[in-house]
This record gives sequence, structure tokens and C-alpha cells, in this order.
Amino acid sequence: MSDAFLELHGVTLRYGRSIAVDALDLSVGAGELVALLGPSGCGKTTTMRAVAGLLKPTSGQIRIGGQDVTRVPPNKRDVGLMFQSYALFPHLSVFENVAFGLRLRRLGEAEIAERAAAALASVGLAGTEGRLPRELSGGQQQRVALARALVVRPRLLLLDEPLSNLDARLRLEMRTEIARLQRELGLPMIYVTHDQVEALALAHRIIVMRGGRIEQDGAPAEIYERPRNAFVARFVGFETILPATSLPGAPRGATAAFGWRPHHVQVGAGPYEGRVLGASYLGEAVEYLIESDFGPIKAEAPADLPRHGPGDPVRFDLPLSRAVALEAEPAPGGA
Amino acid sequence: MTMRPWAIAALVAVLLFLLGPFLIIVGAGLSAGETLTFPPEGLSLRWVWAVLQVDTLRHAFAISFSLAVLSTLGALALGIPAAYALERLDPPGAGAIRALVTAPLVVPGIVVGLALLRYFVIPLGIGIRPALLMSHTALLVPYTVRVVAASLRNLRVDIEEAAILLGASPLTAFVSVVMPNIRNGIVAAFILSFITSFNQVPVSLFLAGPGVSTLPIEMLARIDFTYDPSIAALSALLALLSIAIVFVAERLLGLSRYV
Amino acid sequence: MIAAPRLRGLLLMAPAGAFVALAFLLPLAILLSGSFQAEDGQLGVQRYVQFFADPLNREVFLRTLRIGFLVTLASVILGYVAALAIVDLDPGSRGRVIGLVTLPIMISPVARTYAWIVLLGRTGLVNSVAHEFGFTDAPLRLLYTEPAVFLGLLQLLLPLIILPLVSALENVPRDAVPAARMLGAGWWTIFVRILLPLSREGLGVGGVLVFTGAITAYITPAMLGGAKVLMLETLLYQRVNVTDDIATATVITALLVAMSVVAKALLNRIARGRPLGRGRAR
Repeated sequence: MSDAFLELHGVTLRYGRSIAVDALDLSVGAGELVALLGPSGCGKTTTMRAVAGLLKPTSGQIRIGGQDVTRVPPNKRDVGLMFQSYALFPHLSVFENVAFGLRLRRLGEAEIAERAAAALASVGLAGTEGRLPRELSGGQQQRVALARALVVRPRLLLLDEPLSNLDARLRLEMRTEIARLQRELGLPMIYVTHDQVEALALAHRIIVMRGGRIEQDGAPAEIYERPRNAFVARFVGFETILPATSLPGAPRGATAAFGWRPHHVQVGAGPYEGRVLGASYLGEAVEYLIESDFGPIKAEAPADLPRHGPGDPVRFDLPLSRAVALEAEPAPGGA
Repeated sequence: MTMRPWAIAALVAVLLFLLGPFLIIVGAGLSAGETLTFPPEGLSLRWVWAVLQVDTLRHAFAISFSLAVLSTLGALALGIPAAYALERLDPPGAGAIRALVTAPLVVPGIVVGLALLRYFVIPLGIGIRPALLMSHTALLVPYTVRVVAASLRNLRVDIEEAAILLGASPLTAFVSVVMPNIRNGIVAAFILSFITSFNQVPVSLFLAGPGVSTLPIEMLARIDFTYDPSIAALSALLALLSIAIVFVAERLLGLSRYV
Repeated sequence: MIAAPRLRGLLLMAPAGAFVALAFLLPLAILLSGSFQAEDGQLGVQRYVQFFADPLNREVFLRTLRIGFLVTLASVILGYVAALAIVDLDPGSRGRVIGLVTLPIMISPVARTYAWIVLLGRTGLVNSVAHEFGFTDAPLRLLYTEPAVFLGLLQLLLPLIILPLVSALENVPRDAVPAARMLGAGWWTIFVRILLPLSREGLGVGGVLVFTGAITAYITPAMLGGAKVLMLETLLYQRVNVTDDIATATVITALLVAMSVVAKALLNRIARGRPLGRGRAR
């Protein structure tokens, strides 16, 4: 990992007796966009705040650009953070919000004006300089927050659930925008989210966390197609997960369990029998919840196949050829 | 809603009970007559002008005013950092210090003055003015802490963090981002503290001394041998001043939220 | 930064804490400790025995308790009446009425109390009306009586209970009262079974403010009670000022602090009381 730009070595954060982040090792390469993915309480936000310097690790080391910054205060780290709630200064105009960091760097008035204007233009907000944050829409506030974080040219940008307060259309637009800026600036970013779709769409690499530890670290396709264990698999949509021992004819060995996405389950034919608990019409497909000897099975079948109603007996198959093989989960670290 | 009519009537009665005395004071103070009566014997400002000419009262007003300003500033200087620490920094022993700085609210003022006089002012030979200033400042700290803490509670924490990550020191972040956004709370604390100090009697009672008396104490001292409307005129003047300040403050920042 | 900000917090609180401790707590503690020291320097409750041996002191102590209790009782009743009417108003006029209730708090107690002198004095409004209508021949002595002190204190302290009661009643779920009415509850039942329990916290807070305010008031008893109707505070002032009797002053101080603490504990108990009738068969 010699070319890593950001490195965390054995970073631990403790609050009293509970451990929020547990001996975490993590690296982000120069120009890389890494997503920290996990449910709330998994330690992803704590990790990000430790990188920003807002929280101090109980133990471990954080290096940015080869320099140990573990003891460097947050205002000297040169790390940008875009807050989930935007955290715009309510008493300052859009221009002054963006100029805030530039003024602290004691730049000349002309340069401040020029760079702030350029930053606002780059997020498509030229002309809003004189307004107050509360006079802008949520999406516009978000862009101001992005411009404010980028205008000081940080060496690393952290994004905390940046899209969670936006509606679906704006979310897509903003995602595209972040990806474009990241490409153009070549800026390393850490993107914290609980939404696998965002992580898959944006990140070069995804780190799935739980209980302050890393469950899996890999490229989006790898995480999505080859989740390592049941936790990661559930997170990326393998809704049916069965222990290997419960399946007749399944190979043994390192595989602890198998997982299927709903559309991998074959409905209407197969060796197993169950009963339909519920059926939801989703347009292109129908989603079934099937009661079986394995427990409840979530399945999805194209809508043009014969339908099954609640209470109907139904045959189904869990094809091993389409299943993902999962390792045993490590003992949960306090999640 | 069968209870509405009598509820409104009762409310009006309570308001009349609370506010009636001002109308009486204003009426009596604006009397044109020679003696203290209500209803007044014709209206005039003669007693208002008369009372403004009394040197001891003017002197006492100056002392009360400067005492109120200085003790308020002192209490804000002590209270703002304390409120910030209590709300944001989770200091060790916060509960104890919170109890300590709010203690002056629950102890009888006259006792505070007496204790300070016997065991601090006399042994150390402290002058009357510094003694008054000290006692009033201690008395006001709970108010400033409480009001500033309340407005800090309503302010997002992340804007401070945002400022710090943009390169601001904690102090710069406080001055440039926190202060402007809790300005209303600070102004409310100032007004509340000023009025509390200006109207304060019990704490000052033992501490005030020859030649250095506050306005309310000077007024108390004169009541027993004043039979003309001059004290009423002064009371009316003070009441109207307070009402004006409160009215403006209420309009600007909703003062009653902080009481 | 788990430790550093907490340390910074301690530093930021230190000046306020140290100042209050030095300018307030320390002298007070010395004064209070004096009440447990007899003249010969021995520790004990001798000073309290001496204090209560004097019939005047006993009378003043009981009067202070009585007035404190009556003022609290009256302000609880009037406070509920006013607060219930206030929360029933539309939001706009509610704000204005709350402003009117707050106003007296901001005005000099000397000025406020002086109004009662104008009203109750020998040539005051009450006496001239009574005289005009021929009810009385000679002016009535209304000032320097217990009822005068009671009225003055009630007027002074009533806002302190109305405000917390209003905010407590504002938090009562909107549908609770209509729901109870649908179930057939009358107004008294609704008040006792729903509004009172749900506003207990406001009652506790306001009650403490009023009671401690009443027993520790100085201006009102001094102006409306004078030497004829002494309360503990005015007695303390008199003893120290006239005879430099610090011993009595320390005992009164301790009594006042103890009364405040007891009242606070009692009313907190009301405020945090258990829900009515939980798990009890009727």
C-alpha cells in the first residue's frame, strides 16, 4: 500500500465501554473514490469523523499523504467535509459561505472573489451569490456546501450521506455531478452512505462495515456479485440466505451458507414445495413470499408467467448454479 | 366550549390584577396635586420633572445604571464560555458546576449580601462599588448561562465543525460562526440581566453604604417620609422605561421565550 | 478529540465556577456554618433553640410559612385559571397575552409594590371610595397588614407560575380533552384526571418559584408589612441593622435555605409523581 494517499492503521475509537471503531485498517489511493457502506451504527461516520479530525482515535494512526496526522487538529488537516445537513452558515450569504475558507487563508480580495465565483459556477450556481442559504432549495444548498468544501482545494474530500436529504431526481443529478467533479479534480474522496445503490454507482471501491469492523473491501462488482458473507450478501440484495447444511446435495467445505437474490429463485417448478404467504405485483415482476421448510423465501418472477395467489401451494427451486457461496461470518464485534 | 366565556372573564380579571398596579402608578405619578392620591387630581408632568431634579436620586440612578451595565458585561463574560462548555464540550463535573452557577437563584438575596459583607468585603477592605459589582455579577451569572445555553441548544453543532474543517481555529469558529447565530440569545441575556440588576434590592441592601446607594434602595429609603407623588412619578417612569425596553426586545427577539 | 474538548470545557467553565464559588458560595457557607456554633464556639443547635425560644421569632417564622403557603395556594388556583384560558386562545393572542403576563417580571418590584401603597394607603383609592360611600368614618388601616403583604406577593409572583403552567398545558396532546369528553367526562373530571396530571411538571416548577419567592421576598414585606408584619427576611434585616445580631441572621438564613430545599423536594415529588391509578384496582 505504498501508493495509498490516506492510511488508517489499527484505528480504534471507544466511548466508555462501547467500541465504535475497532482496530480498523483502511487505505484510499490518490484519486480514488471509496464508499464506506453499512447500516447506521456500523462505525462508518465515526471513521469519517476521525479522518476529518473531529474525533480523536483512542489508538491507532492516521496518515494523509505520507504524513502522520493523528495528532493534527482538524483545522490544520486540509480535509474537506460535506455534511449530511449541509451545515451552511445561516447568517452568511452564499458568496460569504464559499469565501469563508478563502478568507481564513488570508487571500487577496480579488482572488477570493474570483475563486468563489468560479466554484459557484462549477456547481451551476452562478448568480446566487447574494442570497442567504435559507432562500435556496435543498439541492442548491447542497451545491453551495460542495462548492464551499472544494474551493479551498482540500487534499481529501469526505462526503457524509450527501444525498440522503434530496428527492429521487435530484439525487441522480447530484450523483452525476459528484462523479464528474471527482473525475475532473482527481480528488480522493470518502463517501459515507447506507445506500448500496449510491455506493455501487459512484465508488471505485466499496468498504462494507459492521460493528466498527470491515466486512468486505472490494470493487463494486465484486461486492455486488461475490459478497463474502451473509451480512454483506443481505446488504446487496441476496434476500434468501440458507446454511449450507440445510441444503441436500450442497458442497461442503469453506462454504457456510448460500444466498439468492429474489429473481434467482425459480417459482412454479422445482424440487421444493411451499405455500405462498403474500404476492405483490411490481409491474414487470411479481414478488412472492413463500413459506417453506427452509423458512420464508423471497422470490421474484416475471409478471407474464402464471401467477400464484396467497395460500396457493407452489413449487420452487433454489438453483445452486445461481447461488453465491458465503463464508462463515465473524463473531459480531459489538454491532 | 362551554367554559370559554367565564374562562375569558377570569383571564381578564387576572390580567387586571397583574397590570392594574401600573395604571395606578402611572396615574398617581402624573398627578398635578400635592399629595399622593388615586385617581389623580388632574394630570401633569410636574412630579416627573421634580423627581428628576433630586440630586441623590440622580446619583443613585447613575450608580444603578453603571452597576447594571458592568455586572451584566461581567456575567456575560463569565456566562457565555460556561454556557458553551456546558452545552458543547461535556466537561468533567458539569453537573456540579451547573448546580454551582445556578445556586444564586435559590438563595435569598439579602443573605448573599450579608455573607459577602461580613466575610469578604469587611475582612479584605473592599470598597462599596467593587462589592456591589461582585455580588451583582454573581447573581447574574445563572441568568446569562441559562439564556445563552438555551440559544446554543437551538443552534446546529455542525456549522462549527464546518468552519473548523475550512481552517478556522475553535476560537475563530466561535466568533465568526457561533456568536452571530446566538446574537439574539446574548441580547436577551443582556436585557434580562440588566433589568434584574437594575431592579435588585435585597443583595445590595447590606452592601450599599454612605454616598453609594442604588436607585431602588434610595427609593425604598424615601418612601416612609414621602407624601407627595414624587416616588410614584419615578416608579411610573421606571415602569414605562422597562415596558419600552421589553416591548422592543419582544418585537425584535421574542424575549419572553427566555424568561 | 475525546479528552481535549472536555478539558477545554473545564477551562471555559472555571472562571464562572470560581467566581460564583468565591463571591457567593464561600461567604454563604461561612455564614451558614456559624448557625451551628454556639457562643462558646461549640458545635450544636443551641442557636436554633435560642431563636425559637423568642415568641416574636416563632410568630415571624409561622407567619412566613403561612404567607408562603397561602400565596402559593392562591397562585396555583389563579395560575391554572389563567393558563387554561391562555392555552385556549388562538396562537396570535396567546403570544400577546403571554407578553402581558411576562411584563410585570421586568418591572421594578419597588415600583410595582408602590402601587399598593397608593391603593391601600390612608388617602388611597380604597379608603376614599369607602369614605365617599359612607362605609367608614375614619380611614381603615389597610397597609401594614398581612392581607396587604399577601396581595403584594401574589401580584409579584403570579406570573412565575402562569408561564410554566402555560408551557406544560401547551404540551398536553390536542385530542386528550375531546377524547375524555367523548368518554363522558365532565370538566372537573377532565381537569383532575387529565390536565392536572399532565401539567404536573409546570406545577412543580412554578410552585417552587412562587413559594421560595414568597418566603425570601424582602421588598414587599418591607413596604407593605413594615415593622408590624415582619417576615423572616425583614426580621433578618432588622436584627442585623438595628442590633448587629448576626447569630439570629445565620439561623434565619439556614431556615430560609432549608424551607426552600424542602419546598423544592416536595414540589418535585408532585412534578415527578407516578401516573394516577397505575395498576391499582378500584
